[in-house]
Amino acid sequence: MSSEADMKAFAFHHRVSQFLFHEARLLDEQRWSEWEQLFTEEGTYWAPATPGQPDPINHVSLIYENALLRKVRLARFGNPNAYSLQPFPRSSHMLSNVMIDAHDEKAGTVLVTSRFLMVEYRRDVNNFFAGEYVHDLIEEGGAFKIRQKKASLVDCDGTHPSSNIYF
Amino acid sequence: MTVLIEQRRKEIDLDKLVQRDRVHRSVYTDPEIFEFEMERIWGKAWIYVGHESQVKEPGQYFTTTIARQPVVMTRHTDGKVYVLFNRCAHKGAELVGDTCGKIKEFLCCYHGWRFHLDGTLLSIPLEKGYDGSGFGREDPKSNMQRVPRFDSYRGFVFASLSKEGPDLKTWLGGVASSIDNMADRAPDGELEVTGGAFRYEHDSNWKFFVENLNDLMHPMVAHQSSSLTARIVGKKELPADKPLPSALEILSPFTESYTFFDDMGLHAFDYGHGYSGGKMSIHACYSDIPEYNARMEKAYGEERVKEIFSVNRHNTVFYPSATIKGAIQTMRVVRPIAVDKTIIESWTFRLKGAPDELLHRSILYCNLINSSANLVGPDDQEAYRRQQLGLETQGSDWITMHRDLDKDEDLGDGHTYARGSSDLAFRNQFRAWKAYMSEGGR
Repeated sequence: MSSEADMKAFAFHHRVSQFLFHEARLLDEQRWSEWEQLFTEEGTYWAPATPGQPDPINHVSLIYENALLRKVRLARFGNPNAYSLQPFPRSSHMLSNVMIDAHDEKAGTVLVTSRFLMVEYRRDVNNFFAGEYVHDLIEEGGAFKIRQKKASLVDCDGTHPSSNIYF
Repeated sequence: MTVLIEQRRKEIDLDKLVQRDRVHRSVYTDPEIFEFEMERIWGKAWIYVGHESQVKEPGQYFTTTIARQPVVMTRHTDGKVYVLFNRCAHKGAELVGDTCGKIKEFLCCYHGWRFHLDGTLLSIPLEKGYDGSGFGREDPKSNMQRVPRFDSYRGFVFASLSKEGPDLKTWLGGVASSIDNMADRAPDGELEVTGGAFRYEHDSNWKFFVENLNDLMHPMVAHQSSSLTARIVGKKELPADKPLPSALEILSPFTESYTFFDDMGLHAFDYGHGYSGGKMSIHACYSDIPEYNARMEKAYGEERVKEIFSVNRHNTVFYPSATIKGAIQTMRVVRPIAVDKTIIESWTFRLKGAPDELLHRSILYCNLINSSANLVGPDDQEAYRRQQLGLETQGSDWITMHRDLDKDEDLGDGHTYARGSSDLAFRNQFRAWKAYMSEGGR
């Protein structure tokens, strides 16, 4: 690989990583409307409930949401009667091992895999969630948009406490 | 059981814990009472184990617990289903560690004892070493032990840790019809577990969950933030002339009016069982799936299909361990862990012979309502947790069950009816609780 191609790949990896970090930061800083806008119109958020789950239709998922359901969840965040959100949970998402698995320059599509560790804190309890993210991205007007964010918890088929916010 | 524990149990005065109109807070908070419940309720009642479709072929097994004791449901080569204690007859190790799988025989990981799928001993390494010892394969204790009683009703396998008690059909009584209706909704008349499961940790007593199932005064309060929000978002985002997407059809009815839930009504039966709804429920207004209706009519004929669809129940409780929603083919199973810890499992079923859309709707329902990360369940869980904490106070020792007291309607055959806002289901469960907990009761 020529050094120019190296530099290009390096810069692209950096751009993609920055996007993932930005997305995680919006969640942690509770900037929901900005976060919502990162998705394409048909974009989905998916947290499977079993390892290697082939699809979100024929098997239950911890979360499988399209734009409408994301709107409901996010609108609920601001609802004064959402008792399990009082006090509102805080989170910290850590991301690493960012690998670009596929990149189609012509189509503008990118498939990125990373590892995450998330802490959700509420009422003196820290709940830990860890696993793999697969971001299916598309470049639109020089910016990335999410076609699908898949958050596969390492214990997705294990027992879980209530959680309200996105992994 | 130690003499000390036996002595203390004798001192527990049930009349001071459960009365006809109120219940003492310690039944939710006292670890000793919890242990006592494991023995007297969970050790006597028929407890749901699993569905026969989870062990379709010989060699398949499924593990779970009854009153916290590891058990395994198997399909033996004789085609029958068995429920065995998951324990090696030798030094007690669990024989299988996975939730489910397929094996030729049980093989103990420790000293290599092998057992058939019905639990009988297959082989012991260097078996001759037991010659003349008073122990050996003639001794029934050399087999994996079977749970004292197990039986199934239309594929639903229940087991009891007690040798005595009513048979399963008698025990199910008036709620067997809820299982019938769920299975009858399949064109082939059979159900099949599919689509995976959730296991949701609740940091609260098991009874809060079981009581909540037919507490029809809570949805419009506890689920306002999800259900009402779903209605508002739907109105804003979707064209008014188009049918609602399934997700909103599922979420919206949780905030129906008090009158709606009152009219659903409550039905109570012996052994603490019951259901709400009957002719209508929050599941009554889902869109028709024409292909499904056609297949049903072909299988049963128009009249019978009308009859099947005219039954629309909300939650049916098989006290204390399970609840089904026949109209949407989902099931939740209660596994108590400690006085303030419970696991709620959630399952979905395929109606055999029905188009896939039905299963997809069950799965969507489970995602939206039963997942630990959903929009509805965490608010229920929050209420149970706050009860668990609130009942630690000295504020009052009692929880009221007075609503519509003495207004129940006796429909005969141990079947009692009340309007939805009544405390009937609550009182009925505690009547059973007290009977189970009594010496020699049930």
